[in-house]
Amino acid sequence: MNASKQEQRTYLGIPVPRPKVAFFELSSCEGCQLQIVNNEATLLDFLSLVDVRAFREAMTEKFSDYQIAFIEGSVTRADEIERLRKVREQAAVIVAFGSCACFGGVNQLKNRFSDPAWVKQEVYRGHPVETADTARPIEDFVKVDLKIFGCPVKKEEVEKIVTSLVLGKTVVHPKYPVCLECKANNNLCLFDLGEPCLGPITRGGCNAWCPNNRFGCWGCRGPAVDANVAQLQKIMRQHGFSEETILDRLECFGGFAEQAKELRSKIGGKG
Amino acid sequence: MLFRVAEASQLKALFELLAQTNTMLGPVKVADDLGGNPVYSFEEVAEFSRLSLDYTTTRLSAKRFFLPFREDLAVFALQGKDWSKQMDYHMDRPAVLFGLHACDINALNRLDKVLMGSDHPVPYYAAKRKNIFIIGTGCTPRPSCFCRSMGTNTVTHGFDLFVTDIGGGRLFFEIFSSEAYHVIRDLATGEPTPEDHNAYMRVETERNRKITTTVDTTDLTKILDMEFQSPVWKTWGDKCLGCGSCASACPTCYCYGVEETVDPGLREAKKTRTLYSCNIVDFAEVAGGHNFRPERGTRLKYRYYHKHRGFVEAYEESLCVGCGRCGDICLAGITVPEVIASVRGGDPT
Amino acid sequence: MNHRLAFHDVAPHGHRYARASDLGSFEFTYKAEITSIYRLTDAENLYRIRIVNNEDRRHFSFRPGQFVMLELPGVGEAPFSISSSPSNREDIELCIRTVGNLTGVLGHAVRGTRVGIRGPFGTSFPMERMHGGNILLIAGGLGLAPLRAPIAHVQEHRSMFDHVDIIYGSKELSKLLFTFQYEMWKKDDIGLHIVLEKGDPAWSGPVGMITKVLEEIIGFRDVSFIRQTHAIVCGPPVMFKFVCAMLSERGIPMHKMFVSLERRMHCGMGKCCRCNVGSTYTCLKGPVFDYWSVMNLKEAI
Repeated sequence: MNASKQEQRTYLGIPVPRPKVAFFELSSCEGCQLQIVNNEATLLDFLSLVDVRAFREAMTEKFSDYQIAFIEGSVTRADEIERLRKVREQAAVIVAFGSCACFGGVNQLKNRFSDPAWVKQEVYRGHPVETADTARPIEDFVKVDLKIFGCPVKKEEVEKIVTSLVLGKTVVHPKYPVCLECKANNNLCLFDLGEPCLGPITRGGCNAWCPNNRFGCWGCRGPAVDANVAQLQKIMRQHGFSEETILDRLECFGGFAEQAKELRSKIGGKG
Repeated sequence: MLFRVAEASQLKALFELLAQTNTMLGPVKVADDLGGNPVYSFEEVAEFSRLSLDYTTTRLSAKRFFLPFREDLAVFALQGKDWSKQMDYHMDRPAVLFGLHACDINALNRLDKVLMGSDHPVPYYAAKRKNIFIIGTGCTPRPSCFCRSMGTNTVTHGFDLFVTDIGGGRLFFEIFSSEAYHVIRDLATGEPTPEDHNAYMRVETERNRKITTTVDTTDLTKILDMEFQSPVWKTWGDKCLGCGSCASACPTCYCYGVEETVDPGLREAKKTRTLYSCNIVDFAEVAGGHNFRPERGTRLKYRYYHKHRGFVEAYEESLCVGCGRCGDICLAGITVPEVIASVRGGDPT
Repeated sequence: MNHRLAFHDVAPHGHRYARASDLGSFEFTYKAEITSIYRLTDAENLYRIRIVNNEDRRHFSFRPGQFVMLELPGVGEAPFSISSSPSNREDIELCIRTVGNLTGVLGHAVRGTRVGIRGPFGTSFPMERMHGGNILLIAGGLGLAPLRAPIAHVQEHRSMFDHVDIIYGSKELSKLLFTFQYEMWKKDDIGLHIVLEKGDPAWSGPVGMITKVLEEIIGFRDVSFIRQTHAIVCGPPVMFKFVCAMLSERGIPMHKMFVSLERRMHCGMGKCCRCNVGSTYTCLKGPVFDYWSVMNLKEAI
């Protein structure tokens, strides 16, 4: 229709599409989606960039004509795989939204147990639930076009990425580690204070959210590009941190799953 | 340079003279580390008593006051196919940096060569450099200082006033700028006597004696050229975390990246400069993805080439002032003296 | 008692045009308009850009081989060598391949979009020094873009040169750039030798390595011809490495060969260090280097 054509936005004369988007959640706390809704100051601007067709956290209507799907959470149940495949059929772009979707997140901590039946019994007791033995990132099941890291995702970063998407800019994730932003913020190095920190190997972009508050980094955004994980493990040992402490950090969000697995097998730790 | 001497109490008077109407910056103790050693940082200070003028060094340099880690170079207001560009140099009032050591003032002098030289001087930097009044103070050397090897343990220009405690409750003032002279006039000072000169010399000699770490810079530019393919670079590269902390702490690292962003309302765009580090993986990556320095070892090597060879070629002096901060902050323990010794033929540790 | 320090305002006053030694030269942007977008191939467009303000436009001049920083506010800024004749004072042309962020968005730009231009920056091909002799203009792929300014200089000063040959290697037929100009170049008595890496039913010319064609062109030349010859070589590092090695073997001294290095400048003014090769700023000492200098740059090739 003519009317809608007139509403076509432009940026410096270049047409800007308003993609139809939907938000979905698999096994997760929905905290990442909450980040979007929380962002009151810029929420209206955000909504003018995209046409939200489904978003359980924010609206009751639900349409399935979306082009971009933001998927929060990891896959822990068979029905989630089915839902995921359906979304993949519809969406031109699938965004793994947050650390659970990208790496399995905190949910994947259960993957370390060798006896899932025992775990289910311990956790759910008399209330058994249908859940797989492992929690998996969504790219284990469908092709993922874009990842947004973080537990939770950082709203400013989501806005920047979405703005880039509609303008046709390349979405570039920081390749540098958290350390760079931590130093930029004039923080004390947590190693000096005796706190373990994965800042030197974890992908930046969070503006050193945790170290700013004197919490060591837990690696929620996964490894920085060319991260020297082996060297940091060595340094942590030199600082007197136990293998368990190192393992706890590496294992927490699933971004360092490979290194965590290697370390676990080396120290012979059980779940 | 004009010289004056004063009673030690005049230092507080100097601070208070300036503090009433100017922003004061200086070294402050911010924490104790695990080993019980004090950790210092340059911060804004309101009270003279908060200053730790006997500090060894700060974790990060005073660079951030002159070259902030992030700074908007321009803001664009967007209208249709058109835009207008607005610039702000982010300095609207003078400040005083009270208690900068010789190495750090020398570092600023080196930054001046690049950022305030004849080829495209940087107004963002110049605005800060010209409006930060610098009061230097004599330092307390620590084991990782190697400024003597770099010729930066003393400073001849680039500050307004330099204060040295020459013992016996007396201060020795070196007055470089007319503005400093103007300030000093309001203090109780006198002409230095030959005995004051001797006391100054004694203090300096004693200070220099405490700077024990050395770096052999003899023929270093040539040696670096010859050792371009040396296996030591890979050895250090394997240790390097590639985190950029060395550059963040360094008082002379000025490399940066520029990024442009648009607000989600598409009303305004920003061009932002962020200090970067040549040790970070994508420093030499070009559009299309080719990376000229994909290995950590080549990136670390580049950092040494820039500081100890390229800058020397261009400006007849090194871009390293021997402050030792990079080695102190490096979790992997990579230090300039050890790297250079290994390139010269020693064994990398 | 107190002492209020004086404030030094460094913002430029009054000067519209800053010299490179003035503080106002940093971040000085010419506002320019995209006046035409010509599709050269699937991946490359030729953008014609005109500085909007009349006085600004008269003020802007460049030498062949220099580059500008092209900025689309909010999207990004990147270096591009100017691909048009320096004597054209009305507009400049930039040949841009869609490979990244800025170039991707530029691919959707429209006539009338306003961009920013900073520069011109860097060194240039010393065309005057080549007057009176022969020139080999050798390009691989997108390397033809920076070569187009020196070619224009040759066309406009044809009597100043003896033999002029363009040797241009491209991956395949559909990737040839500036095909609309080939006849014109030939008419100006410039030898045009195109070689494709991949054959094509519609292509009857040579297929293979650019060095092979080069060999045919200079192989029969005598020493006096070689002594009178300069070469300008633009293309990917592997290409100019082989080409220059061959030319050097044929007797052309390295200081008479010129190459243009590609690096990702962020500032263009010798500050950001992103384009450094070894410890040389490509944006200040380059992008045009003679081959002797390139051989002396660590990590250049």
